[in-house]
Amino acid sequence: MRALLTLLLTGLAAGTAHAARPEEGALGLQPAATRIMERLHFFHGFVMVFLTAVVILVLGLLVWVMVRYNRKSNDEPRRFSHNTLVEVVWTVVPVVILVLIAIPSFPNLYYQDAEPDLDKIAQSGDLDDPNVYPEAAEKGWLTVKAQGNQWNWTYQYPDFVDDAGYAMEFVSNPLHVGLSDDPAHTQDAPRNLAVDYPMVVPANRYIRYQTTASDVIHSWTVPSFGVKTDAIPGKLNQGWFLVEEPGVYYGQCSELCGVNHAFMPIEVRVVPEDQFDRWAETMMEGDYDAAAEIVAEIEPLDEEATRLAAAQ
Amino acid sequence: MPMDEITLDQAGQEHDHKPGFFTRWFFSTNHKDIGTLYLIFALIAGIIGYALSGLIRWELAEPGIGPLTMFVAGEGDAAVEAAKHFYNTVITYHGLIMIFFMVMPALIGGFGNWFVPLMIGAPDMAFPRMNNISFWLTAAAFILLMISMFVPGGSAGNGFGGGWVLYPPLSGLKGHPGPAMDLVILSLHTAGIASILGAINFIVTILNMRAPGMTIHKMPLFAWSMLITAILLLLALPVLAGALTMLLTDRNFGSQFFVPEGGGDPVMFQHLFWFFGHPEVYIMILPAFGIISHIVSTFSRKPIFGYLGMAYAMVAIGFIGFIVWAHHMYTVGMNLDLKAYFVAATMVIAVPTGIKIFSWIATMWGGSIEFKVPMLWAIGFIFLFTIGGVTGVMLANAGIDHILHDTYYVVAHFHYVLSLGAVFGLFAAWYYWFEKMFGVKYNERIGQVHFWLMFVGSNVIFFPQHFLGLHGAPRRYVDMAEGFQMWNAVSSWGYVITLVATAVFFVGLVEAMVRRRKAEANPWGEGATTLEWTLSSPPPFHQFNTLPVVKSEGGH
Amino acid sequence: MAHGEVKHDYHLVNPSPWPLLGSLFVAVLALGFVTYTKGLFGLEPGTMWLMGLGLLGVMYVMFGWWRDVVKESRAGDHTPVVQIGLRYGMILFILSEVMFFVAWFWGFFEFAIFWPERTATWDAANPIYADSLSRFADWPPAGVETFDPFHLPLINTLVLLLSGTTVTWAHHALQHGDRSGARNGLILTVVLGMLFTALQVLEYSHAGFTYDGTLYGSAFYMATGFHGAHVVIGTIFLAVCLIRLMVGGFTPQKHFGFEAAAWYWHFVDVVWLFLFAFVYVVPYLVLG
Ligand SMILES: [Cu+2]
Repeated sequence: MRALLTLLLTGLAAGTAHAARPEEGALGLQPAATRIMERLHFFHGFVMVFLTAVVILVLGLLVWVMVRYNRKSNDEPRRFSHNTLVEVVWTVVPVVILVLIAIPSFPNLYYQDAEPDLDKIAQSGDLDDPNVYPEAAEKGWLTVKAQGNQWNWTYQYPDFVDDAGYAMEFVSNPLHVGLSDDPAHTQDAPRNLAVDYPMVVPANRYIRYQTTASDVIHSWTVPSFGVKTDAIPGKLNQGWFLVEEPGVYYGQCSELCGVNHAFMPIEVRVVPEDQFDRWAETMMEGDYDAAAEIVAEIEPLDEEATRLAAAQ
Repeated sequence: MPMDEITLDQAGQEHDHKPGFFTRWFFSTNHKDIGTLYLIFALIAGIIGYALSGLIRWELAEPGIGPLTMFVAGEGDAAVEAAKHFYNTVITYHGLIMIFFMVMPALIGGFGNWFVPLMIGAPDMAFPRMNNISFWLTAAAFILLMISMFVPGGSAGNGFGGGWVLYPPLSGLKGHPGPAMDLVILSLHTAGIASILGAINFIVTILNMRAPGMTIHKMPLFAWSMLITAILLLLALPVLAGALTMLLTDRNFGSQFFVPEGGGDPVMFQHLFWFFGHPEVYIMILPAFGIISHIVSTFSRKPIFGYLGMAYAMVAIGFIGFIVWAHHMYTVGMNLDLKAYFVAATMVIAVPTGIKIFSWIATMWGGSIEFKVPMLWAIGFIFLFTIGGVTGVMLANAGIDHILHDTYYVVAHFHYVLSLGAVFGLFAAWYYWFEKMFGVKYNERIGQVHFWLMFVGSNVIFFPQHFLGLHGAPRRYVDMAEGFQMWNAVSSWGYVITLVATAVFFVGLVEAMVRRRKAEANPWGEGATTLEWTLSSPPPFHQFNTLPVVKSEGGH
Repeated sequence: MAHGEVKHDYHLVNPSPWPLLGSLFVAVLALGFVTYTKGLFGLEPGTMWLMGLGLLGVMYVMFGWWRDVVKESRAGDHTPVVQIGLRYGMILFILSEVMFFVAWFWGFFEFAIFWPERTATWDAANPIYADSLSRFADWPPAGVETFDPFHLPLINTLVLLLSGTTVTWAHHALQHGDRSGARNGLILTVVLGMLFTALQVLEYSHAGFTYDGTLYGSAFYMATGFHGAHVVIGTIFLAVCLIRLMVGGFTPQKHFGFEAAAWYWHFVDVVWLFLFAFVYVVPYLVLG
């Protein structure tokens, strides 16, 4: 119990640096780091209203009939077996509820799944519309390809090509695989979530992620981004996200892929643009450890600097 | 039915020419004996499947990989590596056993065989000998599956550890080259043939052998549910068999159906699998729907509310069940408009399901409810199935499913509809027909304790899994990440409660068999109106030598 | 509702060893298959006898079982109501077979229609698939020589259609008590069935592709081969009916065994028309 309390408290204390990771004893979705996930938060809450109402209604009706119509209270059963009105009601009301659910559901789906048209957003996007980021759109896409392997992820940045024509690429290995020589898990390296070389992306950029696999099916996901896409050999899937707040975000392979399925986590470090540039440059030089060092501490977002950079 | 006729029935039993023990149980052509065989078989398979789920909960009770290392060869890290694969095989076989060798044999083979002929006033099934091969093929399939657990799967160890969905390439040569997966495939082929033959048998029995005067719209709802289940089986299983055959030849004869390196498409397997797999979940729950209707009506002493609506709601569920399969595949990279279609179609299922839930409550409304053990299970079923149903509505929405897919939310959802749905239906049927089948009374108090322990225990297991899933805990993980510990521990304690419940269940079974309290033909009184209650308990070896006639105003 | 005397027309079958034996041999067959391909129980891969034992056992059980059915039928157990049940049963069995073919057709269509879409998203940057990409850019892939549907396949179509008419001839003859006509019609049907199989074997032997190695080959042979297996089964079914006819079985009123064989044959026929249209002709016309 004390261990539990400690865990709970440390979980809460971790709120200083923006991060999304599973919190002990949590009841709901992970905090949203993207607009996609914010909308899912809303959607989940919205649907839960109906679901809770239905469950409470059913429970209430059950309790009522059990109290009112048990053998002691009602010795003589009534014989009716039809009532057109209530039958119509309990057919129509669920239909109405489903339509109400569908109203936010479909736009949500299309928002997540259809790749936004950045040119259009850059030109005519409304700055006050939380769903689009005209400033980020001007900078265009940053593409990252995540390839699932048994049992790690290979990240490739096709936008960063070296002189020989090879795209920047590195393998992201788990720190923990359940064995005795696993490193200790710390606040910075949570158990079964941390990796050696994380995927790094800039904050406030439209990120197009692609997934594929080299052997069996894996699935790339970051819960706080609200994205999950299967990585299927022989197939290239893609999706997008944009994170506003720099921070460390974790996910885990979500399609059974063999022995070490539980040990191929996903760590995404979202950093300010200039920190990302330094990281990418160092990665291009081939010094992965130095690059990892650069993103070890997430720098705060300098709003002014980003705006200036965008304006140039 | 007048009492003197019932005594006549029991006198008639004296003239039953029961074959000798071996002939009776191994060469059986008697639907009741075959039903009993199915129930015994499901009980054995259920114990194994339940023990496997115990291993899962034990392993997940604490962080790290611990308990499972005791079941594998090797020491230290070698044992941990072996335990990882072992865990994958445990979840795989748990799923396969519970679906194909516990729920289906019990609900369809067991209660279906026993009570479809009795309820429709038929002397036996249409094809009694084929009925028996359905059973023995199921047993053969189970033996094949058990053998596969102990032969090499891949480099990682014995058995197949790719999940019950058998997705290639993990189930292909690349993932599991060993004979274990081939045996799994052939086991499911065999079980599939058994189920197809069983389905043909049920459909023909129901269409051709109803008692004179029993029109299809007077047929008991359990028979309705079995008819629809059988049609689903007949149409869905061959497609699975096709997919499995392609997988088998991919593995053994070099075909390239699901092999990406040869141009094959692993996602195609998923389409074929779920074209079977989605109807399969209705195959497991529809018989329970039928059973619950009878129990609710019997113990409320009231006719079923909205009989036709109930029957056609099941027809609708069965039909829509065939056109929603890809909602299991929202994350594979499907065309967006296609996804939208599957969202819409899936949500529609909530409507007929809602009709059923509310009709059960309406059946109780105005009734005179007696809380006998079967009724407790039935009410538990209605409430818990509702919870499983509403989370299904949540998951139907592809947007949010992108984040919930393959998490514990899904695990919680389908265990609410199956473990707390189908299995509660199964126990309800067990207690409802116990006396009828075995000719002895169970102990009411023990049955109540069994229900309450199971109700609490299974909720403690599965309710916290919603929290885990919402928060991102992936399924099929031998070792959860940091942050998922507490609810996993709670869930495992829930399992301990169900362990006690299961012990109580067996105590009740043994107690009833030892005490041998004399059964009544109809212990439930005037509420029980279907034909099986007009017969002695147990019914004569061959019933209805003179067919019962259903009068025009009678019926369900 | 007195018991004792049976006052209904349903058929209460006597206990039978066949289901248990049959299941046993099915299990042996399955284990034998895996032993043959992978090796089991210390037996080397390639061991055939276990599979052979299973197969012989299954065939023995089928023979024994259906012999019992014929005996029961002759003993008068197949009353009109039982015959209706048998008819329903056969129709449902064929329906499940149809769904089996749905799997092959679905696979074939998916592979063919969505081929460009799938290969377009193949990841060229991934060296593992670079080879596949170049090999499988087209459907059917380069190097695969498909059949000209208007040679052997067309002849086979005519053969099968003709056999459909001869089996109907036999049926009508049987209904009108013309036993020699029925016999001739059946003999012709069986011969045409065997001719179809022979032509199919001939066609396969000239194929420019194999079952393994390419998706096209896999999908093609699975669909046509599974149909071919059904032709063989149907031919055997008809041949059994022929033998039963010649030893004096079947009456103008009661010949369900024959009807079931005829239905099955028509089903095989119709499936072939679909195969011919969608696996041979349409791809040929579309792809040239
Ligand atoms: Cu993985």
